[in-house]
Amino acid sequence: MTSRRAAALAALAVVAPVLLGHTTGIASVWYRIVAIGVTYALMTLSLNVLMGYAGQISLGHAGFLAVGAYTSGLLTSRADLSFVIGFIVAGLVGGAVALLVGLPALRLRGLLLAVTTIGFLVMMTESVLQWRWLSRGSAGVELPRPELGPISLAENSDYLAFLLLLFLAFWILDEHLTSSRLGRGFLGIREDEQVAASYGIDIARTKLTAFVLSGVLAGIAGAAFGHLALLVNSSTFSLQFSLSIVAWVIIGGLGSRVGVAVSGLLFGIFPPTFERLITWDPIRDHLDNLVLVIGATLFLVTITINPNGFVGAVREKREEKEADAARKALRAGLDDAEDPTLPSLPVPPARHGDLAPGTTVLEVSDIVVRFGGLTAVDHASFEVKAGEIVGLIGPNGAGKTTLFDAIGGFNQPRSGSVRLLGRDLSDLPAHERANAGLGRTFQRTGLAMALTVRENLLLAQYALASYDNLAALARTSAVRDAEAVLGARADEVIEALGFQAFSDLPVRHLSGGQRRIVEIACTLATAPDLLMLDEPTAGMAPAAVENLADRLRELRDEHGRTILLIEHHVPLVLDVCDRIVVLDQGRVIATGEPDAILSDANVLQAYLGERAARQAGLLPDDDVAGERDGELVG
Amino acid sequence: MTFALVSGVVVGAIYGLFAVGIVLVYRGSRVINFAAPALGTFALYLAWTMTHERTTSWWTAAILAILATGAIALLFERLVVQRMHAASPLAIAVATIGLMLLLTAIELLFWDPSPRFLPGPLEGDGIRVAGLVISPTQLLSLVVVAGLGYGLTQFLRRTDFGLGVQAAAMDPAALRLVGVPLAEVSGFVWATGGMLAAIAALLVEPTIGAFGPGFMTQAFFVPSLAAALVGGLDDVNGAFVGGIVVGVLSELTSWAFLGSSVPGASTVAVFILIVVVLLVVPGGLVGALRERLRTNLLATATGGLS
Repeated sequence: MTSRRAAALAALAVVAPVLLGHTTGIASVWYRIVAIGVTYALMTLSLNVLMGYAGQISLGHAGFLAVGAYTSGLLTSRADLSFVIGFIVAGLVGGAVALLVGLPALRLRGLLLAVTTIGFLVMMTESVLQWRWLSRGSAGVELPRPELGPISLAENSDYLAFLLLLFLAFWILDEHLTSSRLGRGFLGIREDEQVAASYGIDIARTKLTAFVLSGVLAGIAGAAFGHLALLVNSSTFSLQFSLSIVAWVIIGGLGSRVGVAVSGLLFGIFPPTFERLITWDPIRDHLDNLVLVIGATLFLVTITINPNGFVGAVREKREEKEADAARKALRAGLDDAEDPTLPSLPVPPARHGDLAPGTTVLEVSDIVVRFGGLTAVDHASFEVKAGEIVGLIGPNGAGKTTLFDAIGGFNQPRSGSVRLLGRDLSDLPAHERANAGLGRTFQRTGLAMALTVRENLLLAQYALASYDNLAALARTSAVRDAEAVLGARADEVIEALGFQAFSDLPVRHLSGGQRRIVEIACTLATAPDLLMLDEPTAGMAPAAVENLADRLRELRDEHGRTILLIEHHVPLVLDVCDRIVVLDQGRVIATGEPDAILSDANVLQAYLGERAARQAGLLPDDDVAGERDGELVG
Repeated sequence: MTFALVSGVVVGAIYGLFAVGIVLVYRGSRVINFAAPALGTFALYLAWTMTHERTTSWWTAAILAILATGAIALLFERLVVQRMHAASPLAIAVATIGLMLLLTAIELLFWDPSPRFLPGPLEGDGIRVAGLVISPTQLLSLVVVAGLGYGLTQFLRRTDFGLGVQAAAMDPAALRLVGVPLAEVSGFVWATGGMLAAIAALLVEPTIGAFGPGFMTQAFFVPSLAAALVGGLDDVNGAFVGGIVVGVLSELTSWAFLGSSVPGASTVAVFILIVVVLLVVPGGLVGALRERLRTNLLATATGGLS
């Protein structure tokens, strides 16, 4: 939203209700009804930050609202402070409580996290909110209508003007959030924590930030609601209410700003409106409950059709159409374009600049990874020098990806060390290793599937934007400049890929080969010193595979990159690699240049089994029979 | 204190019964059924209507209410869970919240929010244990809980269908290949989960006294979840033990804070228990203890041999 537009909306938000309230005869209760809707929208927006963007399910959101309402109430009614202080402190306390509730989220995910948030809420309603010195028993906390100097907001219409301003502020903050690295970090951890970490996103920190931000907003929303209701107590913020907010957010569409705001607004406005408009007694008496039944049914129907809500369903329909159109457009331009090849991409300079040839980039020593009784990687050691393409090959289950994970910090080796450019990374978490200069792709294709191609490229550049979270929320000019650079880089890549038609489509609509290419482009966008590719040809068409070899050479020769490559496509490996490391049953059984590897007896045995290798004439006759094969032959 | 211990066991058995329903559904579909206590409340309303507006006996009303609740759960499984096969377990769990909201709304619509009372099936003075009067219904509930626990365990261990239930959530594709009727298993766990919730609600209501819309959810939701978690979330016996642990913990806390200015202290204790169990022994307290015991026994046994 431009600042001029924001100013115009702010003026409208203030002038319209105030003018209407003081000049027309519309009953005061109507302003109150709209105000309820606006406070509900504030609540859904605050929950959407946590559940929609960051993907952290919280069923105890009413607990944060309660904290805000109680805080502002105690400060304004008992300590007689200004409501400005009340709202600010409500936000701060809401954030602090959310931080505590979010701590288990560092270890827990999904359902189990949901259970702790319910436990939190029930503790609040059944105990904390009823503590006598807090609430004077069940009477609750009073929240007087705000007064600021001579201006009193006692009239519903005037308070509505204030609420609309607050709503505008939430909206703009939300816009700033989603267009910054912070918001992208939220989406990243929602989509795939491992991929997020590989882009240098600190999972733990980002999760807690989401809790705190959501808690701050909820605290303020709770205060806004409280000052409207004038009195709150433990039953105001019941479990039922908390779960209803979750339902509104889901009906509106997880992660959809417009959807959740509209949903909250309508669920706030409809029940009291019907109650006033419908005068037929048999229905009127049961209206509240009828609305509840309809709301719950609507929720069930929505989630059954699409867990991302109504908006999600509509969005997916539209995307399907666009994906079809984009595919057709691409096919019209090229002959055999279902699986495009990887073109030359603009590559940002590596983090540590050009390295002198012969510098040791990666030094893996004595890595052991065990899963239960299984030793997946068994004292593996090898080195990668600057400007080399090193292939890591081995039969299925040899431990290649496990070794990749160990290098990248995605599993916990029992022993051994990993050094990058001389720096010991062994004790660092995955995101810090990424920031040290490791870039990797995943065998399963590491992309944020629900995000668009462009969003993925922006997400990949997470660590390259250097502004902090508060600047992101304020969207300072430094942030705008930094974002412009990231956006330009993303667009350059998209253009080079020829993916303009796909750039605003979620990557899950792309073919396997297209995804691979986007993934490699994303990893390159992180500006790594060492590029680690895990089976890049899986899902690629043969033409694309041949082309990949040229691109890898180009990265080495023209961009001075160092590459470690896991690959099953042996011709590619032999063609492109300077050296090859062979892994079998977790052990490095050979290291050397392609020719040497090709004639290495151990390697042939590992790949073909001794008998087959001998029959093919690949092994000399006097070689001693291996035990494994001997057993097989019996 | 003995008083608190005994009443903790009595109420804990009920938590355990709710928890078993949750555990069964979790085993069968990796979903936590947040609607379990709400199904229990609904059964109370059905039974109340039959005994008060008709002259049905408690036993008939109870059996009909239990069956009806099972049918509602089954209907939910067919209409919602089956259709959400592509969705994550988390999304389905959120859908159970929808069921819970719907049931509560229906209660409000067809009955009014005023408190109701459903007497237990047995009359009499009950017996005294450590100063606590255990009513005949409470005795009955202990017997029912023990019987159901034993029966379910045997069923899950000894029958092919039971083994299918045990394995259902592990690898659906593989199970389909070996002929496990997954749709039946899923229907079974949801229906049974609903019926167990109904039984628990009917057994505990006379002790508590009055009930209202959404009543079980408020009082039993978190403790039953805690019981399931203490038991390890997919362990039927563990859930019973977890129920007792949670029951005793909350009764002891309530007893310790009796007369203080802190109301609902037990909910604080249960929240802390949930967080600690999830963070320290995510596999469940019961499972962890069993494992410890096993290693110790093994160590003793092998130590004796060498």
